Amino acid sequence: MVSLPRAVPERPLLLGAVGLTMAFFYLPILTIVYLSVASSAQPSIPIEGVTLQWYEEVLTDRRFVRALANSVGIATVSAILGTTLGLLAARTIVRSSLPRLYRASLALVIALPLFIPTVVLSLGIGLTAGYAGLGFGYGPIILGHLLWVLPFSTFLLTARYARLDDRLEDAGRDLGAEGVELFRSVTYPLLRPAFIASLLFCFALSLNEFLITFFLAGSSVTTMPLEIFGKVRVGATSFLNAASVLVLLFSGVIAIGASTYEWPR
Amino acid sequence: MNSDQGQPTEPARTAATSRNRLVDLLLGAAPLALAIALGVVPLGVLLLESVELGAYPDFGVVLAGYRAVGSSVYLPVLIRSLAVGIAVTVGCLLIAYPVTYWVANHCPPPLRVAALVTLTLPLWLNYVVLNYSWVWILARGGLLNTVLLETGVVAEPLELLFTELSLAIGFVYIYLPYVILTMYVSMERLDRRLIEAAHDLGAGRIRVFRDVILPETLAGAIAGTLIVYARIAGAFATPEILGGAGNQLIAQLISDAYLQILDYQLAAALSYVFLSVVLLGLAVGVTQRDVREELKQW
Repeated sequence: MVSLPRAVPERPLLLGAVGLTMAFFYLPILTIVYLSVASSAQPSIPIEGVTLQWYEEVLTDRRFVRALANSVGIATVSAILGTTLGLLAARTIVRSSLPRLYRASLALVIALPLFIPTVVLSLGIGLTAGYAGLGFGYGPIILGHLLWVLPFSTFLLTARYARLDDRLEDAGRDLGAEGVELFRSVTYPLLRPAFIASLLFCFALSLNEFLITFFLAGSSVTTMPLEIFGKVRVGATSFLNAASVLVLLFSGVIAIGASTYEWPR
Repeated sequence: MNSDQGQPTEPARTAATSRNRLVDLLLGAAPLALAIALGVVPLGVLLLESVELGAYPDFGVVLAGYRAVGSSVYLPVLIRSLAVGIAVTVGCLLIAYPVTYWVANHCPPPLRVAALVTLTLPLWLNYVVLNYSWVWILARGGLLNTVLLETGVVAEPLELLFTELSLAIGFVYIYLPYVILTMYVSMERLDRRLIEAAHDLGAGRIRVFRDVILPETLAGAIAGTLIVYARIAGAFATPEILGGAGNQLIAQLISDAYLQILDYQLAAALSYVFLSVVLLGLAVGVTQRDVREELKQW
């Protein structure tokens, strides 16, 4: 007897669960967007008038703009250094002639921040930076962010590296390319999508990182998440809502941009 | 023609290999050094900080920090943090199972990537802001209370914010995308023919779930749980923004000890007790082969 191809049975309950989850994720965000254009500084639902005044205030607020500039600067450094180090690590893990145990250990050490609670690592880095005479500020923050982004860049690039065809590099070698030239002309073009995705994801991770920064910033340096956190503790306002929307928009655009290259796993 | 480009002689090849090894070693040294200096060394410093090393003539180790953790309020807070972590993770799994099953099996293929991106995009948004957005849903004058009052479901606004409930909602909000991402990987690997075969053999939906889907995805779920519950137990921003003042979690105690009362020894001892519990859970997971394979995915 020939079995007929069956249509996938529709599952309204499953679809409902997906719909509710989407609503759960995006309703609070839409609420903030709605409240950010309220005319009063302490909005109530429903809002009484519509204004873009709060966005103007956020973008001309010196503290907020400086915090944002700090965050962008730290995120740029973390993205470039984190992706470069991740590339070196991925190459070592996938391609090198070194013993298997060494490569597995490298992967394990790099993966530590995924397993060790962030609060524990942050405290450890803070105390170590203190003993090393680094104190608080940009130095420890950037080191902490590098540690935080390194597993993401490494494993994103490892996945790509592992899928590359060895023979392409061999062919490049046969044609006389060596070392840096081989990497520039053969390996890098093949890795490029993962490389760009890694830059963008590392940027987003660092831009949004809060806990490590909270432990390592001290009193002189502020970043955008620290600034928002400080304001949240004081109270909910239209100013804060507008700032929140701008932050979500910024990080969302970066993440969606990165996803067009490669979505993690 | 290319007689000089034939097979390299044996010594030449050995020399090339050892030179390649040196290059490999040097290129790998930078990320290794960073990961050790910032991941391993701080854990050592933390361990030394958590104890007091006796000076000459008695080189005893004084565990005052750990004694402080064992007594008084700290231990219940640690237990509570772990309990919250486990409860929230179970809640996330209950949501993630049907959601990822739908995306992997019922979502129209052209929409699958879009669905997955939509469901995991919050991972890349600012979690301080995401936590804060719930203030506007749950506050006395927030969206939920307004709707409930307008529709006459309640006469007085409910006190939802800064409660156990708001804490739990905030945690699910932040950590559900992680759980969805891991569960999706397991669901995608699940062989659909097994489900169809079970249906053909007359199994109902519950049997299919219990005997096919659950066993095939359990290792992934456990691996995800071991990671996510620890992140929740050690979270700081969510309890600060959405939790009540009376019920702190462990990360808040560590932060207070470090940044407010400057008791580094206590902060380090608290960290190590917490870390030990987390590592113990992972160690148990690693002994199970299936779970170990899944943990490698992280």
